Amino acid sequence: MDTAPTIRLRDLRKTYRVTEREPGLRAALASLVHRRKSEVRAVDGITFDLAPGEIVGFLGPNGAGKTTTLKMLSGLLHPTSGELSVLGYVPWKRDRAFLRRITLVMGQRNQLIWDIPAADSFELNRAIYRIPPADYRRTLDELVALLELEPLLRKPVRNLSLGERMKCEIAAALLHSPAVVFLDEPTIGLDVTMQRRIRTFIAEYRRRHGATVLLTSHYMADVEALCKRVIVIHHGQLLFDGELAALVQKFTADKTIVVQLKDCAADMGAYGEVLSCQDGRTTLRVPKADTARVTGRILAELPVVDLTVEDPPIEEVIERVFAQGAA
Amino acid sequence: MKALAELYLQEIKTGVASMLQYRATLVIWLIGNVLEPLIYLVVWTTVARSTGGSVGGYGVLDFAAYYIVLMLVNQATFTWVMYEFDYRIREGTFSADLLHPVHPIHADIATNLSSKVVNLPFVVAAAAGLAAVFHPAFRFTPLAVAAFVPALVLAFLVRFLVDWTVALAAFWTTRVTAINQIHYMAVLFFSGQIAPLTVLPRPLQVVANVLPFRWTVGFPVELLLGRLTRAQILTGFAAQAAWLLAGALLVRVAWRVSVRRYSAVGA
Amino acid sequence: MRFLRLVAVFLRVGVMGEAAYPANFLAHIVDSALELGTALAGLALIFAHTATLGGWRSEELVALVGVYFLVGGVIGLVIQPGMEQLTESVRDGTLDFTLTKPEDAQLLVSVWRVEIWKLIDVGLGLVVLGIALARLGQRVGVAQAASFAAAILAGGVIVYSFWLILATTAFWLVRVENILVIFQSVYEAGRWPVSIYPGWLRFALTFLVPVAFAITVPAQALAGRLTRPVLFGAAAFAVALFGAARLFWKIGVRHYSGASS
Repeated sequence: MDTAPTIRLRDLRKTYRVTEREPGLRAALASLVHRRKSEVRAVDGITFDLAPGEIVGFLGPNGAGKTTTLKMLSGLLHPTSGELSVLGYVPWKRDRAFLRRITLVMGQRNQLIWDIPAADSFELNRAIYRIPPADYRRTLDELVALLELEPLLRKPVRNLSLGERMKCEIAAALLHSPAVVFLDEPTIGLDVTMQRRIRTFIAEYRRRHGATVLLTSHYMADVEALCKRVIVIHHGQLLFDGELAALVQKFTADKTIVVQLKDCAADMGAYGEVLSCQDGRTTLRVPKADTARVTGRILAELPVVDLTVEDPPIEEVIERVFAQGAA
Repeated sequence: MKALAELYLQEIKTGVASMLQYRATLVIWLIGNVLEPLIYLVVWTTVARSTGGSVGGYGVLDFAAYYIVLMLVNQATFTWVMYEFDYRIREGTFSADLLHPVHPIHADIATNLSSKVVNLPFVVAAAAGLAAVFHPAFRFTPLAVAAFVPALVLAFLVRFLVDWTVALAAFWTTRVTAINQIHYMAVLFFSGQIAPLTVLPRPLQVVANVLPFRWTVGFPVELLLGRLTRAQILTGFAAQAAWLLAGALLVRVAWRVSVRRYSAVGA
Repeated sequence: MRFLRLVAVFLRVGVMGEAAYPANFLAHIVDSALELGTALAGLALIFAHTATLGGWRSEELVALVGVYFLVGGVIGLVIQPGMEQLTESVRDGTLDFTLTKPEDAQLLVSVWRVEIWKLIDVGLGLVVLGIALARLGQRVGVAQAASFAAAILAGGVIVYSFWLILATTAFWLVRVENILVIFQSVYEAGRWPVSIYPGWLRFALTFLVPVAFAITVPAQALAGRLTRPVLFGAAAFAVALFGAARLFWKIGVRHYSGASS
């Protein structure tokens, strides 16, 4: 069975032309003769597909091109070149039918109206998206239940905490049951509990509705919890597209061994690179290939209380990916 | 050519942008301060023309002279402290001011004067433009010009003190717009802005002499235009001096009372 | 009909937003009443000295003040708040949300903010108009009422288009909120019939900041002074300016979306 991809990018590019000029009158006059223009390649040839119902994590440092790509996908920006189609539409044409089937949630900006209860902002969206009353009721009830919105609905949005506001924002964005959901840093600034709740919600929502989700985040926990597949972007280019586990595999040559001894007196340098030692808990970094051998030696030669072998934290992996990409 | 046009565009953009950023509200005031006297200038000259002569001792060209001078005097003496205070209280920045050992009015006067210096060329240009269009009848005498300067300084101080006191209402209610509106009405009628004071009906003229507003704008204007007798000029100075003392006292008392309330209610 | 439905929805939101601050309502009534009092007192002062101003009788000028408040109220009710919100949304990027909605973005940004208490000004304006009309007596017939309605409509469209053009510059200039306030300063000139102003000012108040079309022309209609050519001119100008504003808006959105230009 061949299902056409929901999202399809082929060599997508977005280039900004920026005029550079020193400040001051002389430079202003000089620029009459010679205009210095430089190009910023925000997105520099990206290609990937998203199948219907997939959820993909979109990773990259600031300025990598994540938000620019997301904006092109939602029709907010015109690409400079390349192919782009979402649900069979060309996003920047801003077809009404297209807009009715997507949604964009931005973690750092609110679409809810500040002074009135969230419930009334919901009504507003209902009118704008022309949601039939029965569907609206059903969807709203479901979202209220899943996100525990009941006590929040009648409070003015300005009186809600950041986390409560985010939950309402997400609900408002999903009232029209979009097929494609773009989440731009949805958990930013939230406490750990709230982040977890939102993650659970996204997973459950997807399970129920089969929406295609593209998620950008700085929090590895988001990506780890939700996305099997990650796309890493840096300097506008694709660095990696595949399973998270494979990412870790590919970009780490090391493993971390955490050994619990009685104290830190022993010199562990012989076994590997000592990262830290506190109260006898030593963290070592060893090349992957040597893991088994070193572990064996430590167990044999030292009075070990406890020992674990771990992958390096994903943040480290990602940083390494970026560093490589920057090179 | 295109590059040149783009250069102009950029420079205009930056110039406008920075003007808007830093002196935005003052530009608004500037336009208002030029437009309002202009409007009344036109209105009263129209009235004077239709009555075939003069109104309240002002002929067509006298009205032109009056309002051009009024524009300059008003620009020199006006304040915006009422809006400042409202903003400061809402943002809570007054708390910082209360910690200063210096009375906050001094900083306000300084800011007021420095902004006016910046806007001065524009106002003068506007006055010159209007003079070219309306051919005002100026009759300056050395005495008038000499007396004008201290009158203007006193007018500025009296106006500042009165406005500052009224602005303190912001400490007592959040609905300051009504108070501002009443204040604006009083200034409009009794400082000689809506019409020269001799044009007002007698009862209103009496009220105008009792209130401080005449001495903040109308008096210096009439003085410079040579419309006052020696006796009237002296009386005017006396009134200004009296209101200066009264204003200073008001400010002191009102400030102390308001600060107490502010600290009681909570910053 | 879609348009009306959206207006109703946003109106409701606007009411609820203000209902959160009930004490404001009385304060606003006081403010508007004081402003009206000032305007009428000014008129009284003028007419203590003359029978006509630039050919306008006192009842006609009272009607003008009525139109001034009525139109000012409508501007403050829906046009100004919307355009101010637009400039803010361009600056903080929340316009993105509007652009991903399946609805005409210009329509959305035109009706999305309603300052409900400006209805007070509208109401006061209508009251004053009523009083002025009563004093004008039989001088106001059906034809004049019709041309008044047409003039007000044309004036409204012209003012709306003007504000939209100003606000659309936010796509390039970014910080333009204060340009919008200039309209309010200039609007005050509309309390008097534009015909009394010298030619250059009259031109500025007609074509640069269209105060004349907003106030004087409708008042002229009521006073029976409005000639057909002027009325048709106003209508034509309204259509042209609206078209220009929509075109400019579309260009602005394209620029915002980084379309190659």
